[in-house]
Amino acid sequence: MRRAIRNYFVFLWRSAQLALVGDWRYYAWMGILSILCVVGLNAYAKQLAHGLIVTGMSDQVSWGVYIANFTFLVGVAAAAVMMVIPVYVYKNEDLHDLVIFGELLAVAAIIMCLAFVTVDLGRPDRFWHLLPGLGQLNFPASMLSWDVIVLNGYLLLNVHICGYILYCRYQRKMPAQWFYVPFVFIAIVWAISIHTVTAFLYVGLGGRPFWNSAIVGPRFLASAFTAGPALIILAMQVVRRVTSGPLPQGLAHGLESAAPDDTRQRPATFDDLEQLRRHLPQLSSVPEQTLQEILPGATVLDVTAGHALLYQGETTPFAFFVLEGLVAVERKESGRFRMTRSVGPGQQFGEISALAGTPRVATAIAEEPARVLCLPVESLRKLMKTPQMHRIIRSRMGERLMITDRALMTLRGIVQVAMIINVFLLACEVFTEFYAGGLHVASSKYLFLGLRGYHALVPWIWTAITFNLTAMVLLLLPVSRSLKWLNLTCVLCIVGIWIEKGMGLVVPGFIPTPLGEMAEYSPSLNETLVCLGIWAFGLLCYTVFLRMAVPILQGKLTRAGEAGPARHGPSSEVDVAPAA
Amino acid sequence: MSQQIPDGTRTPLEYDGVTRRSFLRTSVVFAAGLTAIAAGLAPLLKLEDFPSLEEFMQKYYKEMTPEDMAKVLKRIEGQVEREYGIRPHVRDLKPMNGVEFVYCLNLTRCIGCRKCVHACVAENNQSRNPEIQYIRVLKMPHGSFDMDKAEHDYNPAMVPEKDHFYMPVQCQQCKNPPCVKVCPVHATWQETDGITVIDYDWCIGCRYCEAACPYWARRFNFSKPSIPKEQINPDMAYLGNRPRRQGVMEKCHFCIQRTRAGRYPACVEVCPTGTRKFGNILDPNSEVSYILRTKRVFIQLKEELGTSPRFFYYFDV
Repeated sequence: MRRAIRNYFVFLWRSAQLALVGDWRYYAWMGILSILCVVGLNAYAKQLAHGLIVTGMSDQVSWGVYIANFTFLVGVAAAAVMMVIPVYVYKNEDLHDLVIFGELLAVAAIIMCLAFVTVDLGRPDRFWHLLPGLGQLNFPASMLSWDVIVLNGYLLLNVHICGYILYCRYQRKMPAQWFYVPFVFIAIVWAISIHTVTAFLYVGLGGRPFWNSAIVGPRFLASAFTAGPALIILAMQVVRRVTSGPLPQGLAHGLESAAPDDTRQRPATFDDLEQLRRHLPQLSSVPEQTLQEILPGATVLDVTAGHALLYQGETTPFAFFVLEGLVAVERKESGRFRMTRSVGPGQQFGEISALAGTPRVATAIAEEPARVLCLPVESLRKLMKTPQMHRIIRSRMGERLMITDRALMTLRGIVQVAMIINVFLLACEVFTEFYAGGLHVASSKYLFLGLRGYHALVPWIWTAITFNLTAMVLLLLPVSRSLKWLNLTCVLCIVGIWIEKGMGLVVPGFIPTPLGEMAEYSPSLNETLVCLGIWAFGLLCYTVFLRMAVPILQGKLTRAGEAGPARHGPSSEVDVAPAA
Repeated sequence: MSQQIPDGTRTPLEYDGVTRRSFLRTSVVFAAGLTAIAAGLAPLLKLEDFPSLEEFMQKYYKEMTPEDMAKVLKRIEGQVEREYGIRPHVRDLKPMNGVEFVYCLNLTRCIGCRKCVHACVAENNQSRNPEIQYIRVLKMPHGSFDMDKAEHDYNPAMVPEKDHFYMPVQCQQCKNPPCVKVCPVHATWQETDGITVIDYDWCIGCRYCEAACPYWARRFNFSKPSIPKEQINPDMAYLGNRPRRQGVMEKCHFCIQRTRAGRYPACVEVCPTGTRKFGNILDPNSEVSYILRTKRVFIQLKEELGTSPRFFYYFDV
């Protein structure tokens, strides 16, 4: 038990160290974020000292940009986990590797949400009054108490799921399904709940006709499903770009050698390599001497259709190149096999887990009679000393472990549908308000057209509507299948929704006041700096999470590395590549 | 010892252990970071309203024993004396049995002089700068009850003005108060005599009640209240007019320090036209019972919201 705890802390410590190491771009990025955090902290200290008078809020408009950002980010957090649905419910393979990044984004978003609520409090020193048991949480009457529970619960759920999966990867163990899959499903329901509860925060107020509408909840969900995945599309491309680093070496520690069962096996010859070269021209760049070196360990297998070359879950130090025929790579989920890809002549499979020394994530079965070249992992490494071969093997690995374009297109589909629903629901709202007219329309009139000479929000909401409609049109056109246009669309979605849902929903609810008084709101400089600080802090958290998670997912940081042969100093806990 | 990857870049994962240079570098970065954070937090030195440990740990109003309460009242008296140079008398007045307070306001008589507004500020030790007022008088055009047409900042040389009537609005002391329902920490609740009160020492300042109130009756202390020393009203109640802290809510409490001691609220007392009537609805002989029994029409503001105010507007005709 004590050892397990020690192991866990070593894991945390080694992960934390990863966050401190990087190239100059990483340091520059983290430096800028840290400076913004301190600027925000300074602004918040001023607010604590002088009170919320330093914000633009008043008794008339008593919530402002803090609560607007909070509302927006709850949506991002909810949507980030809703990406789990295609993976776990519909078994979508493309999104599988994105799930953990989505969940980490949810964690970062919830941290930001909690920070935004905290800075909005007049007496943050009394936060303990909210703690069940210690304080006086008004549950279930107050929707805010529901929000306290669901947001913190959601944070714990996601920290558990991400932490457990990453720790298992680190230990090179298969995660025990019962220990995380139930939580994944709870998190799916919970994600809907956090956003519904946040909507009910507003909907439940009978004295505020602008919010007191049943459509606000569905609108929140629709806009969350637009902005959340749009944010993930952008974030994943950044992740993809910055993580395509060089492949680490020397990852195979203490692997058992187990030859795959076969029907006809013979040592490989130069002719076999020649055959491979025909399909894989990059092999020509490998020096003759290296090819000589790898031949002794290599074997060629001739298998009949339906023959399994490797099994999901086993750990064997071999990589395969297909010389003839087709091999299906299949993955077992919920007792069913699902084909993930077909591998043809010149292509390799099994290299990722062989290099990482992790259990096979899929089973490879010959779709037709096939001839494959089976290389021990040492030989594969020798091949990879040639830059061309290194690149090709590395790129395939990136494709498998990281973010595929198809996954981004799947997300595009989600954004597309959600944006259409979002625009439709907005239209429903606008029709109801303006067609019937009456007293209830005052806030909407103020928002869309201006009221009694007050129109601070009018340019904002029309910007939002223009962005949303443009994004919707772009999403419906095939042009947004290109990443360049898709990225533009995503930016439009995010900005449009941020305005529509943040400032466009929170602020007009207060204007005019229940007594018909007009008063406008715009955030003060100090308030804006606090917001910037929190956003910077959230991005900082997300960067650190990714910095830790990516090497673990890639198998670069493992428990085995801890006891590796090459340790140099007392604190050299991070994987060190052994001398080749 | 670290490996060079073929393309010449070093992975971030390669780590040489602690060298003198890296140790120095880490220390410098660390020290710079700490200095920056300390500098960032410097404005906190100006924070006057820092709670003492005793205040921080103070129990919830309903969970305090009489001894706890006595201690707290003493502490508050000391604080007020230190700050304003006047020894107040702070009491924890409990609701009386058989009493339910109700307010009646005669719209025919109100002339919009705002004497009630200022009497209330003086009585209840509200902040003067920025000034917090519990009562808002609406100037309404003749014949309309649409509050969107109300004028809030009328300032003529003489009131009343032609073709207008005046409607003062303050906390309606609802029987079904939305503000109480939404408070996440039970910092505001309805007492048995019908007054919705706030424990200023328990409120976390989320302002959800302010958003929930359909009568715009709640006020927030956006900064530390400032009251001139000579204007302090030393007759104070825990749930009433004791000076508030920065960052908490407050509102009309029917002058709890007066009404629970048998006096009229300040606004009733000051009104020059007899517009305002206040009393116990459970007493059939009270003025308010008489009014609600005999007047043909009276209005509860925004009755359709189901808040059921204890505040009634009526007419002489």
